[in-house]
Amino acid sequence: MKKISGSLLSGVMASALIFGVSLAAQADGHEGAMDVPKIKAEVVLQGLENPWDMAFLPDGTMFFTEKCKGLSVRTADGTVNALYGVKGSSGFADVGDDLFCEAQAGVLGVVPDRHFAKNRILYLYSSSMKYRGDGCKTNFEKCDGNIVMRFKVSDDLKSVSDRTDIVTDIQYKPFSSDQPFGDPGAHNGGRLRVGPGGYLWVAGGDRHRGICPQDGQLLCGKVLRIDMDGNAHPDNNPPEGFDKRIYTYGHRNVQGIDFRPSDGKAFTAEHGPWHNDEITALVNGGNAGWDPAQNRGGRGECPDEYCGYEPNQKGEMDPAVRAAYTPMSDTRFKDLMPPSWNNNGFSQGTGSAAFLKGDNWGIYEGRLAVGIMGIGFGGTPAGSRIDMISLTPDGLGINGITRMPLGFSKRFRGLVMGPDNALYVSVDAGEIYRVTAESMK
Amino acid sequence: MLRFSSTLLVLTALISPHTAYSADKALGETRYKETCINCHGPAGKGAASFPKISGKEISYTTAKLEAYRKGIEQGSNSFLMIPMAKPLTDEEIANLAAYLKDAKYVVE
Repeated sequence: MKKISGSLLSGVMASALIFGVSLAAQADGHEGAMDVPKIKAEVVLQGLENPWDMAFLPDGTMFFTEKCKGLSVRTADGTVNALYGVKGSSGFADVGDDLFCEAQAGVLGVVPDRHFAKNRILYLYSSSMKYRGDGCKTNFEKCDGNIVMRFKVSDDLKSVSDRTDIVTDIQYKPFSSDQPFGDPGAHNGGRLRVGPGGYLWVAGGDRHRGICPQDGQLLCGKVLRIDMDGNAHPDNNPPEGFDKRIYTYGHRNVQGIDFRPSDGKAFTAEHGPWHNDEITALVNGGNAGWDPAQNRGGRGECPDEYCGYEPNQKGEMDPAVRAAYTPMSDTRFKDLMPPSWNNNGFSQGTGSAAFLKGDNWGIYEGRLAVGIMGIGFGGTPAGSRIDMISLTPDGLGINGITRMPLGFSKRFRGLVMGPDNALYVSVDAGEIYRVTAESMK
Repeated sequence: MLRFSSTLLVLTALISPHTAYSADKALGETRYKETCINCHGPAGKGAASFPKISGKEISYTTAKLEAYRKGIEQGSNSFLMIPMAKPLTDEEIANLAAYLKDAKYVVE
């Protein structure tokens, strides 16, 4: 019997090998061998201080930010020009005396206008003292301390001018609080991208304030879709009474946002608390489901009115228990956008995300590359890596994940595609890498 | 009395783990890469919310780690450091302090 079973099994396996794999390959559009690309990484820039984001022009010119220094550009011939620094910085062509860095905050996202070749316009996200007014006396006030600026870049790429602040009222955390990572300047989001139609998308964070994500007037914990002057996209559809600049709300700390090449759909990568980093397909007016306010969702009072790490916020605990207490995607919201992926319940620090473009990426073309910065606490493995995630067409799930074979692990902070179809990656240690994929076809 | 005190000091020094053990930087680097690197970055240069810890005097790093190991809070993120320091032996603390004093980041 054992022998018969073995023969039968062999026969089934042989059939699968002959027919099954062949059919599967055809169904995937890969007749014959799969095109698994050869992936390599090389250092483009090093010795930087917390490089946070990059943005490209078609000729390979790369703008980049350093969180506590400012905005610089690496020209197509490799020359680096320091353009616009924070207060107290040196070596920059100009300085914003209102710009500063503190803990997680500083000079963060950068992106050029889609008509940059004609108008030379560049957008920059930073923390600023300029619009605080008297609203920052405690952590429980509005405190407008993150802004989006618009600049004109000179033809020689040596300076910027005509600064116009197009968003001046993104909230900021001014003081320490009784939370993990409770320093001032927490959770700013900060990634900027230009989406389909040329509108500017601004990713935000909850700045450790419980009421932020679900409040319709505060911009903390939101994703904005605006025009080049900072006005709301006319088709934004937030709930009644909300600020019209809001595309989605209910976010914790969005550091990654990109648009799927096949349909233009926006996806965010969001850093979880002690559980559940998430990727989410955005829906116009939708709710990502983060609500760390106290006295809601069956919770009582929380330290400094923020339940984002509760319960037992500074102790070890099963992530699933925390996830039930203050969920990243709370199902009590009828307008919830469910996550496409949730990192197996862990929080390891999702940073940036970029769709892989170009047939040089072979079977990975169209996947979402997601940078995981890595933090090990309470039994969670650190997990620094870049995942390549295949998303389902409806964006509500994944087909699979492949870890990018880089051969090293670092805190992968910023990911963006270059015009050469290479993935550019900044790491907190101070490098910007160029990750290339070579098709094996 | 003076002679007795001197003898006691010498004996104390001889049995003290800090003086009896000769710190090994290489072992310190190996231990650093097991856990510390995940937050403090390569060669203790610091990253994001996590401070730079390289270039400090051996006595400073040793005192910090020993305090964390005892469960003493030293700043807002002590809750992260205390469980990391709990399992460290005296030798591991000495090795880490020695490694971090001169650790230099080199891109590999």
